[in-house]
Amino acid sequence: MKPIITAAAVLALLVSSCARKDQGVVLNDWNFGGRPRLMEWLRTRVATFEAAHPGVHVVQSQKSWNMIREILYADFSAGTGPDIVNVHANYAAEFGGAGYYYPVNTFPDFEQVKRWYVPCMMEATRYGDNYYGLPSSAIAFVLVCNKELFDREGIAPPRTWSEFREAARRLTKDTDGDGVVDQYGLVLMGGDRGGFAYRLVPFFFKAGAAVMTDDMKHVTFNTPGGIAAVRLMADMYQVDHSVTPGFLAYTLTEVNDLFCSNRVAMSIEGPWFRGMVEDKSPGKKFYTVPVPVPDDRIGAADTAATLQDMVMYAINAHTAHPREAWELLKYLRNEEADMAWIREDLGATATTRAALASPEAAALDDLPLYVHEAAHARPWPSHPKMIAIAYDIFAPYAEKAIVGELSPEEAMDQASREAQELIEGKR
Amino acid sequence: MKRSLPYLLLTPALLFTAFVLCYPLAQNLVNSFRDVQMVRGAGAWTGLTNYRHVFADREFWLALRNTAAYALGGTLLALAGGLAVALLLERLSAGTTPLMTSLLSLPWVISPVVAGFAWKWILNDHFGILNAWLAGAGIAGPGTSWLGNPRTALVCVMVARAWQFYPFAMVMFLAGLESIPSEQYEAAAVDGASAVRRFLAITIPNLRPVSSVLMLLGLIWSFNDFTMVFVMTRGGPIDASMVLPVLVREFSFVHFDFGKGSALSIVIFAVLALLSAIYLRVLTGRERA
Repeated sequence: MKPIITAAAVLALLVSSCARKDQGVVLNDWNFGGRPRLMEWLRTRVATFEAAHPGVHVVQSQKSWNMIREILYADFSAGTGPDIVNVHANYAAEFGGAGYYYPVNTFPDFEQVKRWYVPCMMEATRYGDNYYGLPSSAIAFVLVCNKELFDREGIAPPRTWSEFREAARRLTKDTDGDGVVDQYGLVLMGGDRGGFAYRLVPFFFKAGAAVMTDDMKHVTFNTPGGIAAVRLMADMYQVDHSVTPGFLAYTLTEVNDLFCSNRVAMSIEGPWFRGMVEDKSPGKKFYTVPVPVPDDRIGAADTAATLQDMVMYAINAHTAHPREAWELLKYLRNEEADMAWIREDLGATATTRAALASPEAAALDDLPLYVHEAAHARPWPSHPKMIAIAYDIFAPYAEKAIVGELSPEEAMDQASREAQELIEGKR
Repeated sequence: MKRSLPYLLLTPALLFTAFVLCYPLAQNLVNSFRDVQMVRGAGAWTGLTNYRHVFADREFWLALRNTAAYALGGTLLALAGGLAVALLLERLSAGTTPLMTSLLSLPWVISPVVAGFAWKWILNDHFGILNAWLAGAGIAGPGTSWLGNPRTALVCVMVARAWQFYPFAMVMFLAGLESIPSEQYEAAAVDGASAVRRFLAITIPNLRPVSSVLMLLGLIWSFNDFTMVFVMTRGGPIDASMVLPVLVREFSFVHFDFGKGSALSIVIFAVLALLSAIYLRVLTGRERA
């Protein structure tokens, strides 16, 4: 009898030691990318949420933005993944459509929450009849101009393509007189296909060109406006030599280094760039202006679209705690929280009406421009194959056209043909 | 019990191998005959469609050419470098050889990711040390783009790969050189053979077995190398340095077409299996000799 009792006691001890301590509700929150200040702010915000919601524990994880799709696909398709996650809003089509995101419009107070946000930003989280998240930060692509170089040359930031080309030409020069050009008008980011595509497409949109038809059945890289945008870059590279010759190898790191060291005068960037420049070269000034429009569209310059990228917070459709996840989502993205995007440089633009209308917002240099551009901006078409097309087809063909391996017409024709084959399942 | 004990002891290792090697390989083979999209999951059996798509893809043929050039060029460069350094080390006094060998072996122990980033900065057009040296020597102007030029990018990655692999070749060649009987050199000296003649008639033939093993190992490892290319160029610019392992990632994790990615990895597996078979044949032939 004694051995049986001993064995039972040992077994009970083992079982009790293996049992998980009851932590109440545990929410996993994954954050992709972001500036250190944003991560710090998120930690503090989550700590106050936990204090206000006893019994809810939030586990935060920081992950690489570069691996976002791979990580999310792997986890969501395995039926796991975090309870809440920050992602590109244009993933609403791909992941929302596949049933991986929770339709937040099913929460009873959604209509009230929806009114916090600028309508076009809220709409970016919608796919079909459902909304799949709350806007986190808005990103409109603009032209940044190195103030020191522009002022030294006595020229104003360009508004049209011909002014843009002329400015780049004048700002390309041999500054130390050794016979070698050491300052260039424009830098592109060819070493990161996604980054390159995101910086070229604003020129398509400014020219009134779309990359897909509205019904998303046909790819239209080869419309006259698109071809003209590629030809502009090709001429600047091949004829004017005003684009950095090594751009095909550059990522954002090199772009920032070149900009901060006054080796380039212009780049296509977004709200994250100010913080990056400030970190590298404190006090450095630059002009932030809309991406130039073709000369014949100067009349529509105020409303010509640029590319919009939006980050949203989404809830995993398979979360065990949707109600708590929704509470956390609202707490991270309510009007009070959004003021952090105004008061601190978190690398993107606020998205709530209250924050954008606040007196503090009025005092920010770039904000009115970003808000204006975001109001007229367009995202990539919400087609599930769009990201693969942009990275793997559009970017390499556009690069071939810029360096002269193909003409802009040939490159965009081939890109359209291959992309069409991809969406029709022939590749 | 006595007879079954060895099998019993082998079981954990066999189970582990089956789980981490055989199962993924078998699953990959199965996937290569199916339409496997990440969102929809494993779909219908498609026979050889994925293989047909792979062989019809222009990127595959480009990547195959690049991979062959990368593997062959990188390995030959590493072997030449390794042999040259081994010959120099052999002439050093016995006291300094271990220290020099250790120092010269450092590239072999550095992580390929770290090495890739280091080379990326060395070759940076505006801030890299290579251009600074070349400009100082009046050979090339500052701003010369190495990784941004489709004509030079693959060569640069090849050089970086050779730099990582040469210490292994050096150590192997050093061992090979030490095993050459000194009588052969003495006899050649008596016959009045020049240094070049001794190198060609004695050193090279004696090092042939080591060279063939190194060549095959270099080809196998380079053919399968993902890290150096991905870190330095990601297969760019404009696919100029696209190699097969990086293309597998493109198919699988950019297009999320796991069927096509699996088919390509089976093709790579077949090539590597062939190279490994040749390697084993060379190795067993050497042992018999």
